[in-house]
Amino acid sequence: MADETTASTLDRRKFLTVLGATTGGGALALSGCSTGKVEKLVPYLVQSEDQIPGLATWYASTCTECSTGCGVHVRTREGRPVKLEGNPEHPVNRGKLCSRGQAALQGLYNPGRVKGPMARNPDGSFQAITWDDAIARLAAKLGEAGSRVAVISGAGRGTFSDLLGDWTAALGGRLVRHETFDREPERAANRQVFGSDQLPLYDLGKARYIVSFGADFLDTWGAPLEQARGFAAAHGFEGGQVAKLVYAAPRMDLTGLNADQWLPIKPGSEAALALAMAQVLVSERGGQPAGLAGALAAYTPALAAEETGVPAATIERLAREFAAARPSLALAGGVAAQHAGATEVCAAVNILNFVAGNIGETVRFGAELPAADGHAALAGLARSMNAGEVGVVLVHDANPVYTQPRATGFADAFRKVGYKVSTSLYLDETAALCDLLLPQHHALERWDDLRPRAGVYSLMQPVLEPVFDTLPAGDILLRVSQKAGGALARFNAPSYEAHLKSRWQALAGELGESDFAAFWHGALQRGGVYREPPAAGAVSLALENAQASYTRPALGGEGEFTFLTYPHPMLYDGRGANKPWLLEIADPVTKISWHSWVEVGPGAARRLDVRDGEILELSTPQGTVEAPVFVYPGIRDDVVAMPLGLGHTAYGAFAEGRGVNPLDLLAAPSGEYVPYLSTRVAVRKTGRYRKLASVAGVARQLGRGIAESIPLAAAQKGLTVEQAYIEAGLGHHEVNTERELEAVHGWAEEQHEATQYGNYEGENPQWAMAIDLAKCTGCNACVTACYAENNIPTVGEEQVLKGREMTWLRIERYWEGGEEPGEPVSARFVPMLCQHCANAPCEPVCPVYAAYHTPDGLNGQVYNRCVGTRYCANNCPYKVRYFNWYKYNERAWPAPLHLQLNPDVTVRARGVMEKCTFCIQRIRGAQNQARLEDRPIRDGEFTTACAQACPSDCIVFGNVRDPSSRVARLAQNPRGYRVLEDLNVRPAITYLAKVLLPAEA
Amino acid sequence: MAVVAPPPVGHGDGHAITQTHADVTRDVVATLSAPSRGYVLLLLGSAAVFLMGLLTFLILVIDGLGHAGYQPPIFWSVYITTFVFWVGIGHAGTLISAILFLFRSPWRTAVYRSTEVMTVFAVMTAALFPIIHIGRQWIFYWLLPYPNQRYLWPNFKSPLIWDVFAISTYFTVSATFLVFGLVPDVAAVRDKVTGWRKTVYGLASVGWQGTDNQWRHYSRAYLYLAALATPLVLSVHSVVSWDFAVSIVPGWHGTIFAPYFVAGAIYSGIGMVLTLIIPLRRALRIEHMITPEYHFDNLAKLTLLTGSILFYAYGMEYFVAWYSGNMFEQTTFYRRAFGPYWWAGWTMIICNAFVSQLLWFRKVRTNLTALFIISIFINVGMWFERFVIIVSSLSNDYVPWAWDQLNPSWADWGILAGSFGWFGMWFLLFAKTFPIVAIQEIKEMIPMPRKRGGHH
Amino acid sequence: MRTLAIVLGGAGGLAILLAFGDPGPEAQQTAAVPDSIAAPVISDTGALQGPRQPLFFRHDIHAGQFKIQCQYCHYSVAVSPEPGIPSMQTCMGCHLVIAGSDSASRTEIRKLRQAWTEKKPIEWVRVHFVPRHAHFPHQRHVKAMGPNACATCHGDVARMPQVFKVNNVTNMGFCITCHVERNVSRDCSVCHY
Repeated sequence: MADETTASTLDRRKFLTVLGATTGGGALALSGCSTGKVEKLVPYLVQSEDQIPGLATWYASTCTECSTGCGVHVRTREGRPVKLEGNPEHPVNRGKLCSRGQAALQGLYNPGRVKGPMARNPDGSFQAITWDDAIARLAAKLGEAGSRVAVISGAGRGTFSDLLGDWTAALGGRLVRHETFDREPERAANRQVFGSDQLPLYDLGKARYIVSFGADFLDTWGAPLEQARGFAAAHGFEGGQVAKLVYAAPRMDLTGLNADQWLPIKPGSEAALALAMAQVLVSERGGQPAGLAGALAAYTPALAAEETGVPAATIERLAREFAAARPSLALAGGVAAQHAGATEVCAAVNILNFVAGNIGETVRFGAELPAADGHAALAGLARSMNAGEVGVVLVHDANPVYTQPRATGFADAFRKVGYKVSTSLYLDETAALCDLLLPQHHALERWDDLRPRAGVYSLMQPVLEPVFDTLPAGDILLRVSQKAGGALARFNAPSYEAHLKSRWQALAGELGESDFAAFWHGALQRGGVYREPPAAGAVSLALENAQASYTRPALGGEGEFTFLTYPHPMLYDGRGANKPWLLEIADPVTKISWHSWVEVGPGAARRLDVRDGEILELSTPQGTVEAPVFVYPGIRDDVVAMPLGLGHTAYGAFAEGRGVNPLDLLAAPSGEYVPYLSTRVAVRKTGRYRKLASVAGVARQLGRGIAESIPLAAAQKGLTVEQAYIEAGLGHHEVNTERELEAVHGWAEEQHEATQYGNYEGENPQWAMAIDLAKCTGCNACVTACYAENNIPTVGEEQVLKGREMTWLRIERYWEGGEEPGEPVSARFVPMLCQHCANAPCEPVCPVYAAYHTPDGLNGQVYNRCVGTRYCANNCPYKVRYFNWYKYNERAWPAPLHLQLNPDVTVRARGVMEKCTFCIQRIRGAQNQARLEDRPIRDGEFTTACAQACPSDCIVFGNVRDPSSRVARLAQNPRGYRVLEDLNVRPAITYLAKVLLPAEA
Repeated sequence: MAVVAPPPVGHGDGHAITQTHADVTRDVVATLSAPSRGYVLLLLGSAAVFLMGLLTFLILVIDGLGHAGYQPPIFWSVYITTFVFWVGIGHAGTLISAILFLFRSPWRTAVYRSTEVMTVFAVMTAALFPIIHIGRQWIFYWLLPYPNQRYLWPNFKSPLIWDVFAISTYFTVSATFLVFGLVPDVAAVRDKVTGWRKTVYGLASVGWQGTDNQWRHYSRAYLYLAALATPLVLSVHSVVSWDFAVSIVPGWHGTIFAPYFVAGAIYSGIGMVLTLIIPLRRALRIEHMITPEYHFDNLAKLTLLTGSILFYAYGMEYFVAWYSGNMFEQTTFYRRAFGPYWWAGWTMIICNAFVSQLLWFRKVRTNLTALFIISIFINVGMWFERFVIIVSSLSNDYVPWAWDQLNPSWADWGILAGSFGWFGMWFLLFAKTFPIVAIQEIKEMIPMPRKRGGHH
Repeated sequence: MRTLAIVLGGAGGLAILLAFGDPGPEAQQTAAVPDSIAAPVISDTGALQGPRQPLFFRHDIHAGQFKIQCQYCHYSVAVSPEPGIPSMQTCMGCHLVIAGSDSASRTEIRKLRQAWTEKKPIEWVRVHFVPRHAHFPHQRHVKAMGPNACATCHGDVARMPQVFKVNNVTNMGFCITCHVERNVSRDCSVCHY
């Protein structure tokens, strides 16, 4: 009974024992006595130096899940991180955090982590050893190897990468910085066109017109959070304006689904399009700048039309619009920067931006973004490995054995190295081949810093006792140096922490800070030091070598389809595949979770006579993979696409043997980068079938007005959605008469008054939410935040197949148009969560009052009272109630993953209903604090996890009864509507209709 | 001049051959003789099936409801379907035994005992399901109002609470009615048997002597009990129908539901009566007491009536959906016929609406084989009616993104079969323990031996 | 260094308390401090109510005889849902200097010091707890009920040689009765979420 509800409820108390057992950190933190490792941490926003049991302590740190370098706030309880949120002061992400970043928590507590240093036995098995032993072994091997040492590391730039560089140099070895999706073509193009191989920053916020050539700037390319923020400002109907986004690529990714127009151009033809646009601009300016006029003359819209399949008229119109909107912005990335002609594409886009006068406006050089060394370097290393020129290889923050196409033969070359060492936290494919595992600390366990861009120095600090017997990579280097001596002897800092501090002392000097203590203290509190980025570096067109060129990229392989693989929005290059959140929270585009799929266009599907779930065999000379079909309206019929990220052969229980790795199909790259669009594939039906683990039911609105839209003109006139429909001659909603409304509302109030729980019309707050669909990009950050905040279990593939995923907050993706061939298709995203109806259908049907209405307007759900009749779920028109069919609470968090659980939220046991609570634990927390201070709650003092995470700030939460609150004002917004309003359930969530630009003739 | 309204009990040929009270008692008591091999096998079979269901239930309790085929948004499926099915079965019993008694319709006498028994056990079966289907079965008692220091009471606004009361009331009343009606017969048996059985039946017959006084009180009390049971036929299934009707689920939210469900209940009930009696009368060798021309013909007419009401109700549902202009209703009913659950939808319409129409023909009504086959169709059809109403409606309500379909799993079928085993077990045990045909009421219908003159 | 500071602070604080019999004003509002009672000498600890603790800590001596306020040790009770279990540091703050008056107390204090040197926090046996699905914010109750807050649920701990359960705080009936009497919220979601 009640106990059953909470048999495995992990709350603060239980955690203490658990933590006491695991790390000792928790128990010690509670007893206020510190172990020396944590005592000097400076909590953020909390006066006390000790953790206060029962209250959260926040630490500022830096995200290392990708090389963008966002600032995070780590919410800890009893010395244990329980949630990651963005750091509002950090210039890169301004308080937001993407799904991949939030999932770092599951990396920290991952059951697949290497528990301590290990050495490989002759029989191939691993054997645990002591750190001293491990250090000694490595030192010895380094001694033998002399200068025949190689280091492969990630692209992150900071004190550690500097140290690593010096260290390798001191050994006379070579260092290769490897990124799966490196941006070599862009840098090459910049070198070519502007004489600078820097990567610029793109200011989408300023842009009034955006053309993206395959760049998924909202999700997997560049600095997504920063770009999403800018995009929301430009495209979110702020100040009544909507900057048009045109997306030119053979396949729509998340950015494409948010575009106002999709140009499904032929794969590899981006350059032709960009050059033609530039040509139109130049010619219409009477051939200025002269230098370019000649270079561009050849690239007429006619040619481009021929190459891309986009009508010449459209191209010309595009060019004019692009020029007319100042400033505009053209981006090349993703698939456009991933084929043989990629450098040409990027060069062409540079020229286009230059011609339109965007350089220095929306394209800002001088940010000194970190960059990897490109593929050639790694290929070179592989060659010398094959030649036996490498005695010792050290792999750090990289998994090349997985991320290199099999055809490159990197794995074999790697095997040839005499002594292979990995500092990976997990036993990934590369580590699995190594002879020595020196697991480093997780980013949340160590001191470190990152320099994501000029002027930004971002700190990391340990926020908990190490979960396992690991060391900071820096300390590994230093201790090895001391052991090995010789050339390494000069790396004699007592610890990496000390080394870091000394570097920061130097930095303080550079920045003219006299008082280092204050400087350091401040940096820790704010998560780093943020200086104004240098003014946009002036770059000029290097005319002589800006020879605009376009050649149709040659494709290898045979077959009728061009093959394209792209970074998985959740798993990225596969590094997310060991984190249950990222596996279970469905890909925002296809809404498929847990397994691989192959995207086939509707036309192609008809041609091949395949349907969703039918297993296709894709083969190229390099290899063969099998995956189920997803018929995707957002892809050309001559292209098939697969996401990267699955098909791991190692990397922990969650990842292993799940899905397939499309890299097996690619040929060995010859140039500076890996072209992910480089081959044709032969497609064969296997006749086998599997159900897709998709969270989508029917992806059409069927005219039910769930994700509403309003034309730009109407929105600017301040019309409501309804009026807009009527104006457009479509009688849409039936408006209830005043009397009707009064009657039912009166009835609803009576219902409430009748209950004994107090006064529903009194001074209580009424919690409400507003969601602006003009800004929502469907990126999933809110969903992940909800999972993290509310202890939502991941139920696994076989349960998702039964539609039993527990996503309190889900993002519904509805298709618009695209029903007949040729008709343009677009997507609508709508976050769907409990609407906390004032007149909720779920409440009266619950026989035990487990679902009931609270005085502050919440739709309460009392887990320990619920007997599980599930009538509430049947009667919920939004279908946002989720049932614990099994003991998910005992399956979802294998130790030590359970340490991530939020102690403020009950973990639901089998047999009870659960749903969005508007983060009631945060509400109660704020109320408790306000009560202590004898004050009312201030608007914006706290917010829900989803609202906090949303990169484009489309979710606003607050007390609608306070007329000055943001949410109250938004609730009055003319664009506001309520989903299924005619049912008169009176939802507390107001959606703001998406603003649509006029469709093209 | 013989104005005996009903024909005397007779053999199939219809000629009245007078039978003495003694014969009746003999025949009926004969049904309680040592069980045949077939009977024993049947009993063991149903017991085994029941145990299988019990095992399934234990797994559900230990591990969770997930083993059943539930697939959101379908949060109710086979269990609630079967619950409504069994509640429905019960109704025919009460109708025949109570209402027809009040209407003095003589043909009921031979069958009412068996139908009453069916009612009680059907309700006993149904009563299990509210417990089986909830997520935390061990706290089902939270649905009952009982004083507690936590100031917690059930929500009397919830139809599920109404259900609890409806079912328990129904069980109490019909059980009392059955037991009460048994007393004189048990006494009759008592007088025929010997040894320990005599003692047992003696106790069960609570000192019945058959004195005029006892008879006078008895028949009066029986009348009142019948009057008490009668409204339940209407009320209970109306309440059950409100489990659905008060919700806002398209396909559930209909004012037609109460009468529609009651008709359906009686229809399915009689279906089950036929399924049970046709073999039973042979097994117990009481063919001459329950005859096609008379009893089955009447049962069949009742079936035809209720079946036709259902036919009308089905039509009306579709009409209302179309006429209301309500997008959601329309989608639901369109998909009921042409959506993923078309097969269930058509099974229900064919088995109930169409098959019942065969009963317009007397040939069919009096042909036991035909009736038996039709009764099977009725049972299947009525189960599917509930399946369609529940599952098909839930599978496509308001938000298309949430739409999905389910496939029942072994756990669903296990419980369904188990419920039949449970029911069959009790019914068989009863048939061998107590007179399945009401002795004293049949006796009442035998004309008193009187002097006849004129022909010799 | 820091430890020393705490030690001095702790000892000083206690010294003041001992010097001036009646507790300071802040003590008045925050915790119930009974008139000084001489804690009895306990001969048979087995006869005491309540679970036996690994270390025979006597609330009646600390809170009763010496009138140390509850919050001196349960430091977060007024600011956090959790009352806070005193750290070993807090204990040592005084017991570095106070070794105990009689043999009985000396043995217990020796246990404490040993635990401190071994850095092994003493694992107390839990006496009061509310089910895990109920959230009980101590700070609000202390704020609302002032001086008698602690005693309302925990009883007169200052007179308990060994703490035992006076009220069945595990039971919702106990909470709801009080909430009804005082006419404060009975909304389920105030505690259950």
